[in-house]
This record gives sequence, C-alpha cells and structure tokens, in this order.
Amino acid sequence: MSTVQTAAPVALRWVGALAAALVIFSILLMTKGANPIDAYQGMWQSTFQRSRSIEEIFIQMSPLVLGALAVAVPARAGLTNVGGEGQIIIGAVAACGMFLLLGDGASGGLILVAMLVASVVAGALWAGLAAALRLVAGVNEAISTLLLNFVALDVLLFLIYQPWRESPVGQPATRELVDVAKLPVISGTKVHIGIVVAVVMVVVVHLLINRTRWGFRISVAGGNSEAARRSGLKVSMLVLSALMIGGALAGLAGMIHFAGVEYKLRPGFGSQLGYTSFLACWMARHQPFPILVAAFVFASLSVAGDSLQLDSGLPAASVNVLTALILIAVLGFTTMRKKANA
Amino acid sequence: MFTRKSSVRVAVSASVAALVLAGCSSATDSSSSSSESDGAPGEGTTAVGFIMVGPKDDFGYNQAVYEGSEVIKEAFPDVEVLTAENVPEDDTAATTMEQMIDKGAKLIFATSYGHLDAALKVAEEHPDVVVVQQGNTITTDIPDNAGTYFGTVYEPMYLAGIAAGASTESNKLGYVYAFPIPQTIANINAFERGAQSVNPDVETITVSTSSWCDPGKQQAAAESLLSQGVDVLTQHQDCTSTVIQAAEKAGAMTVGYHADASSLAPEGWLTGAVWDWGPLYTDIVQTVIDGDFVGSEYNDNFRVGYKTGTNPFVLAPYGPDVTDETIAAIDEAQALLGTDEGSPFVGPVLDQDGDTVIEDGVVPTYAENDAMDFFVQGVVGNLAQ
Amino acid sequence: MSLIVDVLSGGVRGGTSIMYAALGETVSERSGVINLGTEGSMLVGALGAYAIGVETGSPWLGAIAGAVCGGLLSLLHAYLVVYRGASQFASGLSLLFLALGLTSLFGAAYVGQPVVGFDQWDVPLLSSIPFVGEILFQQDPLLYLSFAMVPLVWFVLFKTRIGLLVRTAGERADSLTVHGYDVRVMRTGAVTFGGMLAGLGGAHLSTAYANAWFENMVSGRGFIAVALVIFAVWSPSRVMAGAYLFGCAIALGPALQARGYEINQFLLDAVPFVLTLVVLTVLGKRTLSSSPAELKRVFENAPPSG
Repeated sequence: MSTVQTAAPVALRWVGALAAALVIFSILLMTKGANPIDAYQGMWQSTFQRSRSIEEIFIQMSPLVLGALAVAVPARAGLTNVGGEGQIIIGAVAACGMFLLLGDGASGGLILVAMLVASVVAGALWAGLAAALRLVAGVNEAISTLLLNFVALDVLLFLIYQPWRESPVGQPATRELVDVAKLPVISGTKVHIGIVVAVVMVVVVHLLINRTRWGFRISVAGGNSEAARRSGLKVSMLVLSALMIGGALAGLAGMIHFAGVEYKLRPGFGSQLGYTSFLACWMARHQPFPILVAAFVFASLSVAGDSLQLDSGLPAASVNVLTALILIAVLGFTTMRKKANA
Repeated sequence: MFTRKSSVRVAVSASVAALVLAGCSSATDSSSSSSESDGAPGEGTTAVGFIMVGPKDDFGYNQAVYEGSEVIKEAFPDVEVLTAENVPEDDTAATTMEQMIDKGAKLIFATSYGHLDAALKVAEEHPDVVVVQQGNTITTDIPDNAGTYFGTVYEPMYLAGIAAGASTESNKLGYVYAFPIPQTIANINAFERGAQSVNPDVETITVSTSSWCDPGKQQAAAESLLSQGVDVLTQHQDCTSTVIQAAEKAGAMTVGYHADASSLAPEGWLTGAVWDWGPLYTDIVQTVIDGDFVGSEYNDNFRVGYKTGTNPFVLAPYGPDVTDETIAAIDEAQALLGTDEGSPFVGPVLDQDGDTVIEDGVVPTYAENDAMDFFVQGVVGNLAQ
Repeated sequence: MSLIVDVLSGGVRGGTSIMYAALGETVSERSGVINLGTEGSMLVGALGAYAIGVETGSPWLGAIAGAVCGGLLSLLHAYLVVYRGASQFASGLSLLFLALGLTSLFGAAYVGQPVVGFDQWDVPLLSSIPFVGEILFQQDPLLYLSFAMVPLVWFVLFKTRIGLLVRTAGERADSLTVHGYDVRVMRTGAVTFGGMLAGLGGAHLSTAYANAWFENMVSGRGFIAVALVIFAVWSPSRVMAGAYLFGCAIALGPALQARGYEINQFLLDAVPFVLTLVVLTVLGKRTLSSSPAELKRVFENAPPSG
C-alpha cells in the first residue's frame, strides 16, 4: 500500500475525525442533561480567554513535551519506551534526594544544578536498566519499561512513607523544596522556565535525530537491525544510548515537575504524566515539533476539565472521555490503514 | 520521506499558530483575579466555592460537604455556589480555586486536610479573597484572609466507643484508617478510651490503607481485622460502605463515620459520628459577606465541640443491640463533655509504652488534642517512625 | 498458622479479579494483541456489574453485564488495532482514559448505593478440609467460577481447533491466511473474549470482593494483570499461581498490621514486579521464544516513523 498521500485528504481526515469526536462527546453530554454548546463555550472561554488558564497550559505542557520526547528518541531506534511514568518519578526522586542531601546550607543555584544533573542521570540509568536487560537477557524493553514503572512507584512511596517523610504524623510527604531552589518564573507570568527548557529540548532532539550521524545510525538500526549490523554499526550501543537519552529526558521532566510545580513528593506525584506523554508522542507521530502541538492539546484539555464541572456540573473526570475520543480519532482515523498485522 | 517533511512543516506552523493564539487571547483577557477591592476580604461576595478531594456522592466525607453547600444555596439565594469534586491534594487545587475566583468567588472552602498548602498559597496571592480550610491547622502566622475550622469529631467517637466497649464480646475493636494525621489519631484514641471507660480490657486494633478511598484495600483491611477476632469495626475513610458491609456479612458490629449507614447494616449497626455542616457553613458565609471575617473566630484555627454547643458532628441513631443502660451511659458522658471538666482525654493518659503523656486530672484543650501524635495504651498498631 | 491461612485466603480472594483479567489478557496476547486497556475493561466491568446488580437485584445478571461491558471496550481496541492499524500500546492507553471518563460520568449515580452482591458460600465437604478448605472453599461463587475458567481457557487454547487458530494468529499469521482464515476475525474474537474476562474480574471486585462502586476503584489491578501475563509466560496455570502470589503480597500488609507489626507496604508491593523482571532475565531467550511470535513483532516494530 502506498504511503504517499496528498495534503488535502489528510487534512480532511483530521477535520472529519476530530469533528466526529466532538459530536460523540456532545451526545454523551446530552445524555447527562448538559447542553453541549454551552459546555464547549464554557470550556473555550475558561481555557483560552483567561490569562491564568493559558499560563496553566504552558506550565502543564513542559513535562508532557519532555515526556513525549522521551518516547520519540527511542522510537527512532525502533524501541518502545512505555516507561516514561517510572522514569519521570525516578527523576523527581533523584532531584528531591539531592535537595535533601544538600540541605538548606547550599545556594539555590547549586541545588538546582545538582537536581538537574541527578534527575537526568537517574532517568537515564532507570531506562538503561531496561536497555541492559534487553541486551543481556533479551528481555523486551516495552515489557521491562512497563514493569519498572511499578517498581519506581513503589520506590517513591517507600521513600515518602518512611525515610524521607517530613513528620510521622500528618499525610506522608517530603519537606518542601526551599524557595531559592524553585524554578524561576518567566517575568510577568506564573509560568516557570520549564517551558523554555522543553522548547529548547524539542529543537535539540530535532537536530539530534535528523542532523547528526548518531541520529542517522539509530534510525538505520530501528529500520532494520540486521542490515545495520552487517554494515558495521554497533547496534547494542545504539539501543543503549537511545533508550538512555529517552530516560534522561523523562528524568528531566520529573525534576521540572518537582521543582516547578509540586515542590514536595507526595503519593500520586506525577500520576499518569508518563502515559499521557506516551499518547502525546503518538498523536504527534513521534516527531519533535508536532509534539509541542500535541502537548498543548493535552494540557488545554486538562485545564478545560475544570470548566466542565464548574460550568456544566459534570464529574471532573468526564474530560477524559473527550481526550480519549480525540486520541481514538487521531490514532485510528487520520492515517491510511496500515497492514493489519503490524 | 517527502510526506514526513511536509507534515513537520504543517505541524510547526500549527504549533506557532497555537502559541500566537494563546498570546493573543491572554492580551484580550479581562482578568478579575487581581482587581483590588477596597472592602474587607470577601465582603459582599456573590459566589462561594467548595473544593472536595473526592466525588460529591461518596456516601461520606465529601458528600457531607456537598450537602452543606446545598444548605448555603438555599440560605443565600443570591449567592452562586460553585463546587468542584475530585480535586487532588496538590498544586492543582490552587488552579481550581483560581478558576472559582475568576467566576466571582471571594470565599472558598478548601475541604480536605491536604488542601491546606494550596489554600494558603491562594490566600497569599488574593488578599481580597477569604480561604477557609476544613480540618487542618495553620501552624504559622494566620493571614487576615484565611483560617481553618473543624469540629471535635473525637467527641462523638468517644461516645461511640462507649457503645462499642459495652457491646463487644471478644474485647477487640477494629479501626480501618487512611493516614496517621492528628485528627485520625485523636479519633482512634478517643474511641479506645470511650470503650475502656465501660470495659477496661478492651483493645483497638488499627490497620491503615494509605488511601482515603480504595475499596479493595478496605476489604483486605477489614478481613484481616475480622480474622483477628475483632467484633466491632469502625473506620476513618472517605467512602465507608465497604467496611460496613464487610462487618455486617461477618456478623460483626459496626460504628459508622460521616453518614448514617444503618441501612447497610441493619443487624450490626451500633451508632456513629455523622456530620451536619449546614449551620457552621451558614455562619461562616454570613460573617464573610458582612465583611466581618478579619479578626473573627473563623480567622483562626476555629474548633467547635460539645463545649461550644455547635459541634457539626452528631451521634447517629442507635442500632438494635445498644441497650438502654448503654444509652444512659452515653448521655451522661455527653453531658460531661459539654462541661469544662469533660474531655475524652482527661489525665492520666498513658501512651502505648505506658508512659504518662497527660498528667492526672489535666483537661487538655481542643488545640492540644488537635496536635495529637501518639496512640494511647490499648491501641494496637504503629505510627510511622 | 492463622497468619498463613489469612494471607493465603485473602490472597486468593483479592487476587481473583487480577486472575480473571490476566487470563483474558493471556488469550488476547496469544492471538498477537497486547491490551494495556485491560485496566479500563476491568473498570467498565466493575461499574456494569454493579449498576445491573443494583437495578435487577441479581449478581449473576450483573456479572454478565460486567463481562459484556469489558468485552465491548476491548472490541473497540480490537477494531482500532486490527482493522485501523492503530498502535497497540497507544490504543490500549486511550481506551483506559475512555473508561476512566465514562465510568466517572455514568458511575456517580451508583456510588453509595447498596448492591446485592455475591455472598460467601462454603462448598459442602470440601470447605471442611483443614487448611485447604479454609483457603479455597470458603469463598464466593464468582470466585469458584474462576477455578473452572483456568482449565477451560487452557483446554480451549491448547486442545481445540479454535484455540489452535487463535494461537496461529499469534504465531504465524501468514499461514492462517494461506489456509483461507481471516486473521483479523481471530484476533478480534480473542481480544473481545479477553475483555470479557477482564470485565468479570471487575465484576468480582465490585460485587463480590469490595461490595462497592467507586471511581477508579480498580486502581492499577489491570496493569498488574498485564505484567502478570508476562510473569506467567503466557500460560493459564501459571497465571493462576501468579495472581495468587500478587494477591498474597497485597494481603500480607494488613494481616501483619492487624497483628501489631510495623510494615512498609511498598517494599512488599514491589516484590511481584521485581520478581517478574528476575524471571524474565533468568529465562532470558527462553521467555522470548515462548512469547507469541506475532506479539514479538508488535514489540519489535511498534513505532513506525512518519
């Protein structure tokens, strides 16, 4: 089947698929007694015509962009990184650990740099574990990264329930990051600089996978590892490096979420951030610049969810339905059919 | 290859467009959040917001809040009541409160223990808005536009403990709880001491689920307690039906929490601590609308109990197994709690190791009870070290 | 002794919902399709069973409804991946989000409503066997059904023609096509059946175990089920053993607490996942060879670029 498509039918498919998602969601809204037009209007106004909401979108975007890049880089090497969830958590745990280690005595800049390095290294090592299992024992990385998510979550909970717990009474949480080590905000807004980091990383990843020899090699290895091996490429090193760079990006996402938004580790930290990023990456077809758009869409939907309950009186989680319908539309109905057994 | 490049270009322009669009709309935005008002914080507010950590129909803690907000709707027909459920106990809570403020709310009830950090942050950024938090305690300086309020839920739990202590045959009571927050610790201790007051040999075994509502974990906790011979189960969870039904099915008795669930346990229901937030919420809203919040009792860590006579916790109706004799003992104890000499924690109070924590004859204040960080003798279980 | 009985019988009870889901996921993966939406199928199954249980007063009708709901959600997954060529991982996760939203939207009305659930029913004679009887035969009927489901799934998968076709769809799809069978139909059937079992698992959770409906009440059990299938190397009997192992790890924490021991639950919780990774590492290439070949292709070729 030819993959060459002209631009017009592709655009048409996108419009049709997204419209269908909105119509289906409207029908669901009506069954719950809400007026879909009012609901969409409320969502639009409270999301895009309110500066605080727009700031919130950019705040929520940054870990999503980085988490999606963490999927995109290994994907170029033919690897499936389902482990963003765990790598994000481990990145945040490393950042928090670094803060607790350095304590109040250190300067804000030192803590920030230390947290940055720690989170990137920890994320890379956590993903590297999956790469190593694949290289040594032939364990598939989709499976191992998925399993490592649960281990990471248990590591997080273990730490905040005992060794790192601020106080034996009260809800379990670590102590709060000192003010000087919190991510600075872009002046005049409440948006922390995580979004700048994320946009820079999009460009970096774009150049890395499209303009460097390494990027070319991993895509050769991802396309046909046997051919790559015969042409003299060290496929194992490529696998290891691609997955570890992915993990490093996810670790960075965890640090940014910790130092930019949460400031404390609590149960539920970063919950579903990794899986949402994974979906954002798929929506963007694993391409760096479209990831910005996909992350923007996901962050907007999440912010719009508040309006659904404040304006339309629907349960907060209802927005998940709209998110899922849009995803299904994009995943299943915007591309020409691929071969069924792929 | 060709298609990929063009799709990248489309996407880049789309993302740029999105960013520009976002920038534009922020420019045309009419922000009401930063508008300074001359009056007292919250004065004359036309909307009141309630954020809840769970769903508003959980048959428990959050439903009680929601029902309280319905009372506000009726009592103040001109005031718009905004409710948001499932608001997590992290920074997203601040975002949701900001949305309410943009809709005109100058009074917000942040109703879960873990909402305090976000509530204080919002209060700091919006001096014209009053944020009151339910159940936690502000330990720093209290800003002019914030406060906490709560009832002394351990008082009715002490009374329920009397019913449990008088009814148990195995002398083992079971307590399913979420987190060892001071409020929960005081509940557990009061329940045990109420039981001890009529039955010195009784012990209360505790199991934590580390979640305000996870029915699967609650079932496991209830089963493990029942298999230890516990014959009265109670809990501090946001949703309560799983534990109550587990007790009923096992032929054990149950003490409810949050709501009168006697319909779920017609055989084993003893009594329970249930809520009636309406009067307190109404008074807080009135105080804020009148511009009298600053310096009022609500601009503080406000606690009500049997001593002040407006405890939002009341005792649920009694089940079939509670004898008249027990009811008389409970009535007597309740009357005593209303006096200056009364408290579930009149000294001597010993901790699990047998060390004296509250000296003989001392009556601790509500504030002291709110900071409780130890289990009393007779409670089986560990606080995290 | 009582601790062991408590943990084992609690593990069997708590592990049953996971076992149903993992058994279903085994069938699905044997046909070459992984379903990360298993969590979602359990969730809609839990609500479907609870809602119909409340409306009709019959737990069995509820269980059937749970299976239907779980099956429908998985049918959507099958359609997307088999007929529309969507990524299996991305589709599964999308359906999880769909399930979270739908159950929140339609489940609110059932929170706190009492349901007539499955009650404990001691199997005559068997339940009085010391130790074993306490653990296995003082349970509920939906749990006993799972005892039958394991050999049934094994038998159908490995001893019948239809099972052979499903497994061939997962091993050598091309040879099915050569013989005139439609691989897509086989996979759709297997994935849907898998979703029905996940729905039954959800039904066990809401109407036999916890007797409550609550938003997001599955809280990760579906993901555990997916991990478990790999732990069990796609074998129904090992799925059963693995589900009880997971169940016991969950039950051990409260059982120790109730005896006054301090315990950090999260070390316990991590054990099954670490164990799975160890098993995979030790078995190494052997696991890979026992994984359905078409599934391997899904893993290897998953993300097409562009």
